Amino acid sequence: MIWNHVTKDLSAYVHGELTPDEARRIGEHLVGCRRCRHEYDEIRFGAEAVRELKIVSAPDSIWTDLEAALDARPDKKSWASALFPLPAFSYALAVLAIAAAIGFAIFRQQTPPATDTGWEVTRIDGAPAIGDQRIASRGRLKPGEWLTTDSSSRAQISVGQIGEVKIDPNSRVRLADASPGTHRLAIEVGRMEAFIWAPPRQFFVDTPSAVAVDLGCSYTLEVDRRGAGKLKVTLGWVAFEWKGRESFVPAGAVCLTRPDSGPGTPFFDDASTVFIDTLAEFDAARNDTEKMSALDALLPLARKRDGLTLWHLLSRTEGGARGRVYDRLTSLIPAPAGVTRRGVIDGDRGMLDSLWEPLELGDSSWWRLWKAPFPAPTARIETTTDNN
Amino acid sequence: MNEMASERLLIEACRSGDREAFRRLYELHKDRVYSIALHFSGNESSARDIVQQVFLKLFTRIGEFRSESIFSTWLHRITVNACLDEHRKQRRFISIDDQGGEEEGDENQFIESRVTIETDYSMIERSALVRRAVGRLKPKLRIAILLKYFEDLSYREMAEALGCSEGTVASRLNRGHRELAGLLEALRGDIK
Ligand SMILES: [Zn+2]
Repeated sequence: MIWNHVTKDLSAYVHGELTPDEARRIGEHLVGCRRCRHEYDEIRFGAEAVRELKIVSAPDSIWTDLEAALDARPDKKSWASALFPLPAFSYALAVLAIAAAIGFAIFRQQTPPATDTGWEVTRIDGAPAIGDQRIASRGRLKPGEWLTTDSSSRAQISVGQIGEVKIDPNSRVRLADASPGTHRLAIEVGRMEAFIWAPPRQFFVDTPSAVAVDLGCSYTLEVDRRGAGKLKVTLGWVAFEWKGRESFVPAGAVCLTRPDSGPGTPFFDDASTVFIDTLAEFDAARNDTEKMSALDALLPLARKRDGLTLWHLLSRTEGGARGRVYDRLTSLIPAPAGVTRRGVIDGDRGMLDSLWEPLELGDSSWWRLWKAPFPAPTARIETTTDNN
Repeated sequence: MNEMASERLLIEACRSGDREAFRRLYELHKDRVYSIALHFSGNESSARDIVQQVFLKLFTRIGEFRSESIFSTWLHRITVNACLDEHRKQRRFISIDDQGGEEEGDENQFIESRVTIETDYSMIERSALVRRAVGRLKPKLRIAILLKYFEDLSYREMAEALGCSEGTVASRLNRGHRELAGLLEALRGDIK
């Protein structure tokens, strides 16, 4: 792996000045380098702040002063020549030119870069279809259109300039939003594999019961006919979010989502089957009694590595239950100085963040800083009504 | 007719002294030049002076403009020079909010201004804070950032306007953005 820090290229990265290969190299480096992520965050924050500056109209009186200054010049030759009008043809052209230039300037101000032409789709196997049109080798998926694969077809989507998504057989995905700065797919059913090298929080996938928010990574996402989903991260991080509930899923971890309850608690995929099943019982519990009984069974099964799961459980429990999660977590991984049982039970945000650090999954600050309001799903995914 | 061709015709008309053509050319560019000048200098009177200098130079020297070069590059270079000249003329410039002077590279002033920004945070609107923070950047960083955002130039175009290499453009923008982030620490979380 190339390991040179990328700080000097970060503003060029933010401004889209790099070639796709260079941008990809930097995106990959950022996933693994805390120092450069911090620099990147500073630069992006600075760059976004500047957008607060607004164009201010020049006062009308400047032109009057300007004319007066020009008239007062001893050498007025250029103005004097205005007495000799341009040949009619040239004048007409100039007027047209002015109109065109103004028109263009207005057009340029109002037209965002043309990204609504959609994303390129390449056939890998079989006959994937956009709408009801089968793709021979390549096609374009436009906003609002569906890409469908049958049991023998697969396809690859280029996500603008920022990544690639492979669509497996028996899947149905829609391009939800490709407006500037936004990359959003919706998956109704099937399986997809995403590799995104753009900065975090630029690529979103809506599922019927959670939104996957890319934090610089690669992952797979599966959705079944009932709308339940499974997210598995292979590199970097993904946030799985729904109605205020969020899970942060690192490489090697999995998060399930269900139509009735949204994203479940993430776990490492090398955890024991009984741990995973008991966690699913906890996530599906309908009342406190069911929750407590699942928790009783779960906590003794947790390994040190399951600290990821226990940390998430702290925000999914309350009171005494939270205290017991805290006790188990800190018996596996000692709490850092300044963190108290009482404070955690009371929901102290700073203490929750401090407890994250000894999990050694990466600094929590970097993904917290990236957290910003993200666009809500553009439309609920309708229940399948296709006839096939 | 593409933009370049129409601009060339407009400039041809200016060369022959057509005042209406001058006015059109001025109308096309005045707001962006004024905005850069205003955010650079921090006050309206300097901004007016800068705009006048830019267009006076433009109109009186349009005969020197070589038609094979790109007009906007020429305009940007004149704008950058007028801003930096104005800065040199004023040993201390008064910022937009009358917050007092700034000496280039004065560390203490920098820290002090950060405190001011944090203290006033609740009272002042966000864009005013950003304006003020931009005004506290060193002139070379400030002009680079304003040129980037108001004219939406590529690094290559910026290099031509600023008379430096693309690498220098990248490093000035890196530093400028980082320093802004430091000044605006208090805003973090509000600007998405
Ligand atoms: Zn690095």
